[in-house]
Amino acid sequence: MVKKKRVRNTAISIFTLLMIVFIWWLVTDGLHLVASSAMASPVKVVQTFFQKMTDKSPDGATLLQHTLASLKIAMVGYFLAVIIGVPLGIFMAWIKVVDLMVRPIFDLIRTIPGIAWISLLIIVFGVGNTSRYIVVFLAAVVPCILNSFSGIKQTKDVHLWVGQTFGAGSRQLLWSVAIPTALPMIMTGVKVALGASWMTIVAAELLASSRGLGFMIQQGRGIYRPDIIMVGMVVIGIIGGIMAKVLDLISKAIIKGR
Amino acid sequence: MVVIHLGFVPPEKWQVDMRLNQDKATRFQKIFFSFLSISVFILIWHFAVVFTELGNIMPSPFAIIKNFAVSFVKPVGKHTMPVHIAYSLRRVLTGFVIGSCTGIFLGIAMGLNEIVSSIFKPVFEIIRPIPTIAWIPLAIIWFGIGETTKYFLIFLVTFCNVTINAYDGVRSIDSDYIGAAKMLGANPVRVFGRIILPACVPYIFAGLQTALGYSWATVVAAEMVRSSEGVGWMIITGQSANNMMQIMMGILAVGVIGFCLTTLMRVLEARLCSWRERGK
Repeated sequence: MVKKKRVRNTAISIFTLLMIVFIWWLVTDGLHLVASSAMASPVKVVQTFFQKMTDKSPDGATLLQHTLASLKIAMVGYFLAVIIGVPLGIFMAWIKVVDLMVRPIFDLIRTIPGIAWISLLIIVFGVGNTSRYIVVFLAAVVPCILNSFSGIKQTKDVHLWVGQTFGAGSRQLLWSVAIPTALPMIMTGVKVALGASWMTIVAAELLASSRGLGFMIQQGRGIYRPDIIMVGMVVIGIIGGIMAKVLDLISKAIIKGR
Repeated sequence: MVVIHLGFVPPEKWQVDMRLNQDKATRFQKIFFSFLSISVFILIWHFAVVFTELGNIMPSPFAIIKNFAVSFVKPVGKHTMPVHIAYSLRRVLTGFVIGSCTGIFLGIAMGLNEIVSSIFKPVFEIIRPIPTIAWIPLAIIWFGIGETTKYFLIFLVTFCNVTINAYDGVRSIDSDYIGAAKMLGANPVRVFGRIILPACVPYIFAGLQTALGYSWATVVAAEMVRSSEGVGWMIITGQSANNMMQIMMGILAVGVIGFCLTTLMRVLEARLCSWRERGK
């Protein structure tokens, strides 16, 4: 009975998706209800996808080059953010003076979304990659710090007392009690940070860039090529999805006791 | 002990410090240290601007605050600061209200009914990984450069977040509760009002909170790409005019309003789900 229901639900899901693609095709290629400068047909999007693999026009680079350009900046900024943000968050939670001194400034800065920094950085560092690395870093470091901070703060006092009773030093308490407790939250933060850095690099490239997926879709808008925009969006979505999946697998592997 | 409170703590003394960590910081300590660290931060910034080459590109914090205050009466571009903020806020709130109402409705419907969820879930799985900001070019092509584009973007980001959270909220309910209530004679309306709704309110609030944060970031981005007023416009025109003061004022406005929005949501959450605050 349960199995039958599951088959039925999957059938409904597949049917909906097919219907959406069919309606999409119908309003574009089928009946030409929408102008081709406003909406590309599914066929056209697939065609453009394969064409952009080798073709550099109209925006000066192939799809792969754009993707790698975006990925490189997102990854460098992201890893810097994780390497600096997670220990800083742990530090802030574990040592009171750091908490008291750093937190007010951090609270001040974190309310500003990463995108808002772009203009400032462009004036200070020019339109080069440096500004983009820093923007991604700023966007990604906030969730890293926040989550490791609240993860460590979640540690139950009783667990720490037990550790102390059995003679654990502070460092041992941190490494074998507090950090394992905080790990699920830290991993969530690291995951949110990855999404944030991917989103921010796209935004940064929309505003000022000469390469990257964000640049590609912005160019597509300028010359009314919705097919290029949609190819870009699909690639952005797929890469974002893959990155989230990879992190899921990593966190499943390293989190204990779940 | 006072030394430990204020000074550098060598690693071998962390244990003492860690015990302090368990008692809450006193109110006085919190205010004192916030005041101290922020003043140190501002003073370093100020002196760096006055005495080093940083002054060539960066205005001093005091000048920014002064100009920010002046901009309440003297217009930046066509409007004064409160008008710019009002434009951005109107865009966020319109999209946010529509998005959260439809999102809550659809999310709960998806949670309650398998057929509804099998229709909409795959669509969400496809749309969700695409950051809203990547929709900006397509939205501009579809809706032009006016307000509709911004409403659409904010709607999209709110709708996706809230729907998924409301759905998760309904799914998290232990079916034993519903079974027990039904067995004791509760009708479906009562089951919905007394069990399902209270159980998903914390989830919905978590979704609303993230959605509001993302909405604020999205409206700033959308205004930076294309608009003729609003805080994002202020930042981007500051950039093209090489006017660092205007950029910093824009950033300050974005930060202050962002802070107010999150605080507002937190207060609302504390009021409306006092029985189960998230993360406590």
